[in-house]
Amino acid sequence: MKKTKDIQLNHLRKKQPLKPIKRLSLAIAALSLAACSQKQEDVVFVNSPEQCASDTNLSLEDCTIAYKKALEEAEKTAPKYRSRGECEIDFGDERCQRTSSGSFMPFMAGFMVSQLMSSAMQSGRYHGSYSPGFHYRNYYSSDRNKIMTSNGHVIGKPGQKNYRVSKAALKPKPKTLTTVKRGGFGSTAAAKSNWGGGRSSGGWGG
Amino acid sequence: MFKMPIQERTNWQELAEEFGFQFHTLYGERYWDERSYYQFSLEQIENDLEQPTEDIHQMCLAIVDKVLKSEELLKRFCIPEKYWDFIHSSWKNGDPSLYSRLDFAYDGKSPAKLYENNADTPTSVYETGFWQWLWLENHVDAGTLPRGADQFNALQEKLVNRFNDLQTLTPDRLLHFACCEGSTEDRGTVQYLEDCAKAAGLSTAFVHIEEIGVSDTQQFTDIHDQQITWMFKLYPWEFMFEEEFGSYLTHNNLRWLEPPWKSILSNKGLLPMLWKEFKGHPNLLPAFFEDELHLASDIPSLVKKPLFSREGANISIIQNGQETTASHGPYGEEGFIYQATHPLPKFGENHTLIGSWLVDDEAAGISIREDSGPITQDMSRYLPHIIV
Repeated sequence: MKKTKDIQLNHLRKKQPLKPIKRLSLAIAALSLAACSQKQEDVVFVNSPEQCASDTNLSLEDCTIAYKKALEEAEKTAPKYRSRGECEIDFGDERCQRTSSGSFMPFMAGFMVSQLMSSAMQSGRYHGSYSPGFHYRNYYSSDRNKIMTSNGHVIGKPGQKNYRVSKAALKPKPKTLTTVKRGGFGSTAAAKSNWGGGRSSGGWGG
Repeated sequence: MFKMPIQERTNWQELAEEFGFQFHTLYGERYWDERSYYQFSLEQIENDLEQPTEDIHQMCLAIVDKVLKSEELLKRFCIPEKYWDFIHSSWKNGDPSLYSRLDFAYDGKSPAKLYENNADTPTSVYETGFWQWLWLENHVDAGTLPRGADQFNALQEKLVNRFNDLQTLTPDRLLHFACCEGSTEDRGTVQYLEDCAKAAGLSTAFVHIEEIGVSDTQQFTDIHDQQITWMFKLYPWEFMFEEEFGSYLTHNNLRWLEPPWKSILSNKGLLPMLWKEFKGHPNLLPAFFEDELHLASDIPSLVKKPLFSREGANISIIQNGQETTASHGPYGEEGFIYQATHPLPKFGENHTLIGSWLVDDEAAGISIREDSGPITQDMSRYLPHIIV
């Protein structure tokens, strides 16, 4: 066979089918549920070394290390703002701090401890992310009053102990930096598309 | 190889909606055209397209090596001097590539002839890897095509596997996907590749080319100020080299898809180089740089192509010394190359071009474009194919 053997149509579907096929719908639902549960993980969200020690299997010593690492990670990966005001719009009054480079970032609300992380830490072999979370409060966002990772994965409403999150939420996050300028790429395409009346839908591939 | 009419699937536009294929119709004209398909034999596919595609790719890699070792050739290719080291180190480090598309003129009988190599920003990958696959699947299920009908199209499977390998080679990095604002086609192409990367388990993000930022530490950032450390860009290297942020490229520890060395392959200077090194190869057309035209005196008709160009723009045909403009466009200021004219085969009223895909260095499938004129451009229609 010269063609792709199987394509999981669910991965490529952008909208639900207009006319669902009844015969298959149950089987598809069962499959996608199974697929979902594999991609999710149960975590405990804690906001201090003490809470970590009481709510998870980790010792206070491990929890203190984890808390420190989570703070370091928060400093590296949290969203950064040029002014305190911009930061406070997203995270609320008095809930932002100045970073060492002069930008502003939200205070860490806590960090996630997964089963995998606590067993790996106990055996001293944990190299993954310490997954800090931030309490998002932007009044105009539908995600207002949610705990989120630094790149916007929603962990859940604040106040719970246990959360179920996607595995992606636990992966290491890229560093955030202070952007000083934008728009330095794209001018050639813009200039060429002015040629001959322009193109609205065509692209720059070939 | 022949062309067969077939009924359109009654629900194909609903399916396109469901799967987010938003550019099947461009400027009110059909781009995806399933009123006919092309049929090949397995021998035609394997002997005339698959094998030559892999062979030519290897020949192309030899040219990259040769060009990067010669200042004279780098100048001929109009690669700005300040990027020579940048490109050369991506080649020496073996920076991995994702995909390419070779365009061939092929009539089912005589050897396929290479028109060009779209090595840097190939498009129509969604239509090929997924959409024509779904078309065949639907027709086989409906009994309108035989159960044994196959397609030369392992593109999606190979892309997912390749992303998997790339993750091993580039561990713990988030892969950013980027294209220009305002193009439905490019956005769809990049979304599809992002879907393939996700299927392989990669962490991904998206940023428009115009939104890319530079930090106080001179690193690239996305719209959320996250550092970009690994990026797929559907945007030509030769554009980036000329733009303001180009100067930050050379001192950034960033992995690129396609890697910088692909800028040698997407350059039309590749074509005369291939002819010089592998003269007489059955899948190559004679091709010459501008100052070598005396070598082409016995060739009655030549096609003049800009060194940098996309989608059949700025091509003219030179016959008995007379130049006729065949297509307009914004390219050409960097100079031209000349390739022996070898018209596309006609099936009915249309001229047919085969795109042959590579994932890394493996042939992965074909796509077919048709045009009423002799030059395939961005408006040429896409048709599916089968192997029986």
